[in-house]
Amino acid sequence: MTTEPYPTAGVQDKDARNSDTLARDKVGDDAEMQRILHRETHSSRAGVAGLAAALVIAVCVYALLESAVRAIGQPPWLIDPQTAAERLIALPQGISLLLLGSIGGVVTMVGLFFFLNAVLPGRRARHILHDARTAVVVDDEVMASALARRARIAANVGQEQVMVVVSRNLVVVNVRPTSGIPVQPEAVQAAVQEELDNMGLSPDLNIRVNVAASGVIGA
Amino acid sequence: MNGTPRTLNRILIGTLGVILIAIGLLLLMLATIPAVASWWQGWSGGAWARTQELLAQTRFPGRSESWLWIVVAVVLALIIGAMVAWVAQQGKGRANDLVVDTDDGDAEGTVVIGGGVAEQALKAALADRQDLAGVSVATYDVKGRPGLRIRIEPRQGVEPQVLAAEISRLIEALDAVIGKRTPVLVHIASGARAKLTRAERVR
Repeated sequence: MTTEPYPTAGVQDKDARNSDTLARDKVGDDAEMQRILHRETHSSRAGVAGLAAALVIAVCVYALLESAVRAIGQPPWLIDPQTAAERLIALPQGISLLLLGSIGGVVTMVGLFFFLNAVLPGRRARHILHDARTAVVVDDEVMASALARRARIAANVGQEQVMVVVSRNLVVVNVRPTSGIPVQPEAVQAAVQEELDNMGLSPDLNIRVNVAASGVIGA
Repeated sequence: MNGTPRTLNRILIGTLGVILIAIGLLLLMLATIPAVASWWQGWSGGAWARTQELLAQTRFPGRSESWLWIVVAVVLALIIGAMVAWVAQQGKGRANDLVVDTDDGDAEGTVVIGGGVAEQALKAALADRQDLAGVSVATYDVKGRPGLRIRIEPRQGVEPQVLAAEISRLIEALDAVIGKRTPVLVHIASGARAKLTRAERVR
């Protein structure tokens, strides 16, 4: 790297108190780091929470308006609570069955969306990179582009001829060879494997290399 | 790394989901099964009759309206307030200070190192790098202790482990300067800027 970081001289001449503080602070770091890493690799559901809150607020504001209007004895805005209750009791009369059924279907779907969001683990497309000092998480896309670069060099093809898809436990490397120049899948596999080993990620990943049957002309 | 209440999020979202599923399934069954329709009309009719009785008992003296409507309005306002408070909890936890040291030393007073020190130092150290499309550093409160969150967006093809090791060295230097190990999270991210800029072909 070409940049000069801020004074690294401090590493050498730290005094006794300094190193003592560093050692003391290390206690409890591992559990703390694990917690941070878990939080970073799983969704916080903040967006869905905002959506849910907005939905509840909208319903409550309308109900608040109607009940406040009712409390002070004014005419209702859209529907009087009394009429609304009577219509609800009369269901399924007063509305076409098809419409009622489809409203029910939509509401169930929305409910399922919220429920599954709450229950599923909510993993993000990220992997943990092991480092002695810091907690490092890497987006799968960053890994994919680094692996693609390595695979491209190993296969000796152009940038457009390699596509790498990284999922939680699997790396799929798709290579389209240049027409007339065969690609050795083993070589690509070995190169990608070496790069992956260098990264030292968890959870572990398997590699699958697909070499396309048809080549690219003029690449 | 921020203080989003994740368990609360899951509980509240799950509860809302279950309620909506129940309502939706009830509507579906009302539309399709006649037996459910007759049960519903009997059950809800009874419930509404009891409610009306209750409303009649709780009238304002001399007026036709029940004060229960005011209770309902207050409860709804409380729910709205709770929802706003819940949303306000999301993503909180930014901190200002990296070190607050009150003990030892002969002089009176405290030593405070602002989070800006680490943020500016790291940003400056990473600013000129050609293989990064963006850097942002923020200080967060991690269970009462300050922690740093570094988000870097490398260009396409940059090896994350090399980047992580270099950041790690910078952090160790920072530890020595500040005299305290802060928990650090490095997020090597892919963003729009990293995607749109071309990959470095020659390195």
